[in-house]
Amino acid sequence: MGRVDAGQRLRRLLAILAWLARRERVPVAELAHRFGVGPEELIADLELAACCGLPPYTPDQLMEILIDGDEVVAHLGPELARPRKLSAAEGFALAASARAIVAVPGGDPDGALARALAKLDAVLGERDRLRVELDEPPSLADVRAALSAGLQIEIDYHSASRDELTTRRVDPHAAVFLDGNWYLDGYCHRAGSLRRFRIDRVNALRTTGQALCHPAGPTDPPSSDTPFVPGPDNVVVRVAVDEWGSWLADAVPTLAVGPSPDGRTEVTLAVASPVWFGRLLVGLGPHAEVLDSPELAAAGAEMARRVLARYQDSPSG
Amino acid sequence: MVDRLERLTDLVLVLLHDQRPRSLREIAEEVPGYPPPGEARRQAFERDKRTLREEGILFVTEPIEGPDQFGYRIRAEDFYLPDLELEADEQTALNLAVAGIHFGDPSGRDALWRLGLAAPTGHQPLADLPALPALPVLWEAVHSRCRVTFGYRGGARTVDPAVLRFHGGWWYLVGHDLDRDAPRTFRVDRMEGRPSVGDPGSAQLPEAFDVTGALPEPWQLGEGEIVPVEVLVDAVVAPRVIHELGESAVTDRRADGSVVVRLEVSNTAALRSWVLELAERAEVLRPPALRDELVGWLEAVVAAGGN
Repeated sequence: MGRVDAGQRLRRLLAILAWLARRERVPVAELAHRFGVGPEELIADLELAACCGLPPYTPDQLMEILIDGDEVVAHLGPELARPRKLSAAEGFALAASARAIVAVPGGDPDGALARALAKLDAVLGERDRLRVELDEPPSLADVRAALSAGLQIEIDYHSASRDELTTRRVDPHAAVFLDGNWYLDGYCHRAGSLRRFRIDRVNALRTTGQALCHPAGPTDPPSSDTPFVPGPDNVVVRVAVDEWGSWLADAVPTLAVGPSPDGRTEVTLAVASPVWFGRLLVGLGPHAEVLDSPELAAAGAEMARRVLARYQDSPSG
Repeated sequence: MVDRLERLTDLVLVLLHDQRPRSLREIAEEVPGYPPPGEARRQAFERDKRTLREEGILFVTEPIEGPDQFGYRIRAEDFYLPDLELEADEQTALNLAVAGIHFGDPSGRDALWRLGLAAPTGHQPLADLPALPALPVLWEAVHSRCRVTFGYRGGARTVDPAVLRFHGGWWYLVGHDLDRDAPRTFRVDRMEGRPSVGDPGSAQLPEAFDVTGALPEPWQLGEGEIVPVEVLVDAVVAPRVIHELGESAVTDRRADGSVVVRLEVSNTAALRSWVLELAERAEVLRPPALRDELVGWLEAVVAAGGN
């Protein structure tokens, strides 16, 4: 058997036939692109389909498909063009995707998606029973406006990992929603490289009136990359947490999670910022113990001192 | 030798055609590529049936007249959806929606394929939503009104599901918890194993169940007494705190841009986590007991961490 099994080939072929049934004449290249298949494999599958049909498999009972130069010409019955039943996973993915986009501001400018969704709901399920909320931070609308206008922006950005407020000029490339947060990807002039910013930490945004110096390029990392990638400067650290502290494994990107010999859970993390790690330890309090790296273990106490200082400075609040 | 894809395609066309059940003998006569009568033919047919089932194409078995006694067909109502009559712009919008949301599996693309739409390839996704194996199962349960049972925090929970909801980066199931006889919210990623699903119609939500209500904040998820808590947050984090809690939580705006927010808290541990995430940018003002508790917590961290 080839790389793609017979079931998957059938799935693709039925989809291609449904598409062809509504069109009759389509360039081979377009069909290949839409279905993510090489032209040779596509032609082989179509030639095979041209031999399929109903008994007695005389020409009038076969599917009428022929390759005419660069084009596929097909005369297929209306039955093949009918929409097909969706599996639970497919119905869910379609309904959730459409709801997510409808929820994005400006995601459905002419309302066509909402209309499509209403038609889908009639056959797939009810409206109120599936809700997708992509929380919109206040600066998201401005970021999207700058993106669609192709404008350079200046942002006041609060970096939580360093607890510093900076002003940066950014050539925006994309706004993406990952792991529950909206991020701005772009070229940061202050850093002199591509950066990803959490949009909920953009406290203010202005357009600079200047053109983009570094527009998005074809070699830029795709935006589906995880927002946190361990780098060479990271320190790998193991933390043991008790049952109460086990939320740690869900809350941050981890390298490994497993049971520790004493019955607790051992979470391995890559730490880029001691300030960030210190804040985690303060939140965990007595429910966590750093198993290696004494320097990072001290980051918790250091952060706790900083927070305590605030309470001691203002005894009454 | 007939390519298996050809045999499968013919099989689907023949079993859909004129909706008449056919015995295996008739099928093998009409569909080229099956071995001669005997065990090999039966095995080949069973294998095809399995492959098609995995593709969501189901056979029904029905009694027929004659020596073969029973036959197979693919029921049109199992194979087709009613026509959605999507306009061209609606088709485009659905294509873009699927291209824009990344689920980590091709289900969305497959859905478009089955609707006779073809998603353009190579689009950059706009959003990444976690795909969990339990989600399609729970989605079926929600809209077929099935009672579900699943493991959660070491115990078994039985729930009549109301809504599946993505919020703050997590998928939640909201429903009526039968053991507690009260509405409850569950993180889907924390469910242990695959939820087991009862028969359609087995779930019955109380009439007053609110399916559109707000999800509780973590500090409201306690069984404790509700205590009003005031927190002072610095100007630099004020915008996102106000965004998170809403303007109505703000009780004071100070000249330096800092704000005081008021929260109704029934779970003080969750509130502590939330405040400490803001580190020295936030401070509990009152009640004094909670402020003292927080200071005690911080002093313990200092003592444990040495110098």
